Amino acid sequence: MMRKLGLGSILFAVVVHILVISAAADIKNLMIWPMPLSVSYGHRFIQLSNEFVLKTESSNYPDASGIIKEGFSRLLDVIKVAHVVDANTSYVGPSPVLKGIQVVVLSPNDELQYGVDESYNLTIPDKGNPAYAYLTAKTVYGALHGLQTFSQACHLNFTTRTIEVHQVPWTIVDRPRFSYRGLLIDTSRHYLPLPVILKVIDSMAYAKLNVLHWHIVDTQSFPLEIPSYPKLWNGAYSSSERYTVADAAEIVRYAERRGINVLAELDVPGHAQSWGNGYPSLWPSKDCQQPLDVSDDFTFKVIDGILSDFSKIFKYRFVHLGGDEVDTSCWTLTPRISKWLKQHRLNGASAYEYFVLRAQKIALSHGYEIINWEETFNNFGNKLSPKTIVHNWLGGGVAQQVTAAGLRCIVSNQDKWYLDHIDTTWQDFYSNEPLTNITNSEQQRLVIGGEVCMWGEHIDGSNIETTIWPRAAAAAERLWSAYDNIAKNPNQITRRLAHFRCLLNQRGVASGPLTGGGRAAPEDPGSCYEQ
Amino acid sequence: MIIIITPHNTTHHTTPPHHNHIIYPISNNHSFNFVQKMSQFLLKALLHLLIFQLVNSRSLKSTIHNTNLDESLTYIWPLPSQFTSGNNTLTVNPNLTLDFTGNAGSGSVVVEEAFERYKKIIFKHGANKLAKAGDYYDVNRVTVIVHSDNDELQLGVDESYSLLVTKNNERSIIGGVSIEANSVYGALRGLETMSQLCIFYYGIKTVQIHKAPWFIQDKPRFAYRGLLLDTSRHYLPIEIIKQIIESMSYAKLNVLHWHIIDEESFPLEVPSYPNLWKGAYTKWERYTVEDAIEIVDFAKMRGINVMAEVDVPGHAESWGAGYPDLWPSPSCKEPLDVSKNYTFDVISGILSDMRKIFPFELFHLGGDELVGQLRHSSSNGNLPLLMFLKFRINVEIALACLSNQKMVQLQDHNMTAKDAYQYFVLRAQEIAISQNWTPVNWEETFNAFPSKLNPRTVVHNWLGGGVCPKAVAQGFRCIYSNQGFWYLDHLDVPWEEVYYVEPLEGIKNISEQKLVLGGEVCMWGETADASDVQQTIWPRAAAAAERLWSDKEATSSTNTTSAALQRLEYFRCLLTRRGVPAAPDSTLRLSVVYSLVLALFTVLLWCFVNVNKRKLDYLCKTSMLKDFGFGNISAQDASGVKSGKESRSLDKTFELNIPISLVT
Repeated sequence: MMRKLGLGSILFAVVVHILVISAAADIKNLMIWPMPLSVSYGHRFIQLSNEFVLKTESSNYPDASGIIKEGFSRLLDVIKVAHVVDANTSYVGPSPVLKGIQVVVLSPNDELQYGVDESYNLTIPDKGNPAYAYLTAKTVYGALHGLQTFSQACHLNFTTRTIEVHQVPWTIVDRPRFSYRGLLIDTSRHYLPLPVILKVIDSMAYAKLNVLHWHIVDTQSFPLEIPSYPKLWNGAYSSSERYTVADAAEIVRYAERRGINVLAELDVPGHAQSWGNGYPSLWPSKDCQQPLDVSDDFTFKVIDGILSDFSKIFKYRFVHLGGDEVDTSCWTLTPRISKWLKQHRLNGASAYEYFVLRAQKIALSHGYEIINWEETFNNFGNKLSPKTIVHNWLGGGVAQQVTAAGLRCIVSNQDKWYLDHIDTTWQDFYSNEPLTNITNSEQQRLVIGGEVCMWGEHIDGSNIETTIWPRAAAAAERLWSAYDNIAKNPNQITRRLAHFRCLLNQRGVASGPLTGGGRAAPEDPGSCYEQ
Repeated sequence: MIIIITPHNTTHHTTPPHHNHIIYPISNNHSFNFVQKMSQFLLKALLHLLIFQLVNSRSLKSTIHNTNLDESLTYIWPLPSQFTSGNNTLTVNPNLTLDFTGNAGSGSVVVEEAFERYKKIIFKHGANKLAKAGDYYDVNRVTVIVHSDNDELQLGVDESYSLLVTKNNERSIIGGVSIEANSVYGALRGLETMSQLCIFYYGIKTVQIHKAPWFIQDKPRFAYRGLLLDTSRHYLPIEIIKQIIESMSYAKLNVLHWHIIDEESFPLEVPSYPNLWKGAYTKWERYTVEDAIEIVDFAKMRGINVMAEVDVPGHAESWGAGYPDLWPSPSCKEPLDVSKNYTFDVISGILSDMRKIFPFELFHLGGDELVGQLRHSSSNGNLPLLMFLKFRINVEIALACLSNQKMVQLQDHNMTAKDAYQYFVLRAQEIAISQNWTPVNWEETFNAFPSKLNPRTVVHNWLGGGVCPKAVAQGFRCIYSNQGFWYLDHLDVPWEEVYYVEPLEGIKNISEQKLVLGGEVCMWGETADASDVQQTIWPRAAAAAERLWSDKEATSSTNTTSAALQRLEYFRCLLTRRGVPAAPDSTLRLSVVYSLVLALFTVLLWCFVNVNKRKLDYLCKTSMLKDFGFGNISAQDASGVKSGKESRSLDKTFELNIPISLVT
């Protein structure tokens, strides 16, 4: 008995070994982005049936709200977007036909939250009667990722005018390396119209990014409606450059249906000048309008009101409270506030700490955990709520210190992951390793992921897509794929990334060429796949 | 020098813009050469600097809050030919309904689908908020009346419409919005205008129409209002082409000139000659016949014609990838071999296949630049002189190529190379006419042999001004695309120049004016792909669109530059609200060019007059590099290159490459 088992397991090991080897050896021929955890594939193809169907009978997930059905219909849309599929039966040869995809979701729960299981297994057979692709996932959101992977394996056959899945049979086992894979958009420096944001969300799903960090408000403008303080959006650039509560809810709903969380940011106290257009008493004085008045309880009442309104719209576990780049000179220079500081035995630095910690408590009272930019940690890390996640941006090495202090961290070091730095190449984005110098596995677990930041000073609806893509995709693979699957030399995967870039173009996303940094125009005529 | 106003990305301003790999040679042996290179370098550094400042100054401008609209202006783009408005504000029911009267066939589908599209645009903010029973709205339905049963889309189809917006009241049965048009395509233009009147009002979260009642009577000034797309230099995915067609309808443009094929690639399937699309860049970068039909149908639903172009004989090298016989020789691949009947068989095959796809009566046969690779190479630098020289050289090369290879055959036919060019163009015209097309040719054909062209020919101007007057004087029809104004790949042409240019310039006689069909803005594709094509098209194409649609009087006398700019800015925001990546206006660009020229001269004078070479070397090596934002060039880069081999690479390393979106 033992002997048999032993033999079986040896055989099994050999089979697995062969599969792994074949996957590793052929990995260059795979045009899937981001690279799945493990893939084995063959060299045949199978044709998609004209009536390609979704089957969910054996799923535990009832799909009452239609998340899978919608995901499936989007799948059909994107695989047909590149060309007209006009299968002429006279063309059809004896090739095997894939009748549909069977999706099995194990959990009936479809709450989208931080840490939701995003794993999936996908098999696509090369024959069968009838043949079905088979997708299993713990949650509906894992299943959505599986559908994205499936869509990337589909191509038009220009002879038969049908869609084919290449390189069958497929067996894919996949899950993300990090549970937080973010993209920041900034609607304060430039207002981004609703269709633009929704399109960014669509494109994020193609790259399996899962957090839209919405930097809603900043110094320049306050575009969001806050019912508790209805004059706040007087700080919008113009009467039409605003988001209603219904708009924000639509963005959140739209993102959730695609497995993407929306992280709202309220950047206090240093990036909030626009608040005072509606409520001037939030300014230290007319001439000195930032940071928010620390001495007035009204300031914290407003924050409380905003976060209370937020909590009805933004269901993600975290809220981002900013806390970066606080210049406290307005506090010390305004006599009224300066007096208050003295009464409370505070100086600029300690008042900054007081402000951040008080804002943290308000957020906690609304059930949020807090994300703060790294300056808060750098200045008073030991005072932060243990529920704080520190958001790195200034440079490398911060995650190491943050996790050593037992706090969680999101990596966004600006030298590599700021998309507005248009001279940063995709190779730089790709090579940025969030766990650099973090060897302790406890500490590694505290790095929940990373985020690329599309700050909006030079970005509006006209150029946002070409500045985000393809560089955000490079970071997306770093955050999704297993460490061992990530190319040590990014130039090895240029072809695959170019392929993904062209796929984005086919789907109507204005991803730029790979040559040059961000937002570069193609220099010469040429193929998309070589630029 | 550089104003830092941005948190989070402060380092962005101190890092060098875009170019990390400037190899900087200092070599005493090549000092004269070096001064030249240095001035080149300075020019480019200055350009970087100026553009950088420009971008920053925009950011500063944008901190002004609550910019109010000048309510006296009419924010409809392009401006209707006649309109009156009032002082009422009407609310619009989110459950707006359509009441269509007219031909119940396919025409009603055109209108119904357009109505649904516009409803989505108008009510995008209220997606979740449906009208409740008992809510009162002033406008509850749109009545569309179309008189003609004919829904064929052709050149000169009646696009006029009248639009009436009034309050519902008991005495009037025509409450709400009513649009009356002779054809469904006029009705589409009316729906577009209506959609521009509907504004989401954030205060009460309702869509409103201000300044009602409106009475608008509108018609286009020109029948041909085109945009050229070039899918040979870069393949444009179908989804991108559809996005562009959709945006054209917002500006009431009505012809998509599809420059499908050129020397770089042949992306379209031609069933008669199935190897032709082997000339595509890759197998993925191709259009099937069904794809092309889909594009034509999609455009038709928006009242837009698709004019296909097959640019012969000078822009056709890619044809030979599938059929090498079409090349004069393997080493001389362009123009198409004039001496073989086979060449004309292929052209005939392509045209007959295309006839099944493109119902538009106009077909573009090209005929420009015997060798055309350099026509649009000026897109980055816009150096007209250089381009002109290159063009001349090209013609000579082309003629030489033709002569060397085929001289014997030509001589057999008693032909010079120029005769052969004429022979080719005219024979291609005959093929087109025999298949019931009206040929359109680039102006070189007219410039070279006007009396020989078929009288039905439409001459397509591009080289410069003054061509249409000559063409119409000889009875030809003409399309205006003067490259100095209407080539969108010329990034340094500001919107005012696009806007104020006049297609009828120099044509006094009214019957001759009628021969100018219209004009077209050209989006050549050398440096435009899916990622940047739309922000290069918009908003400047909109400036031309108003020139082509609106009455000349309305847009020149009552419409000052500042008023036009405000209206155009409004329209560009409307485009972005609809998801079209339209770039900010480029009013500041002209001043950049001037200050650049000025600064260049100052620097050169300074370098040559005041400073000896050693000092120049030193200064340039140290402080100036830093001043120009190249501060982190390593010491090794700045001093290490000595060998001739590296200095040969200079031209390449100094290549100027400004991201388009920075410039636009």
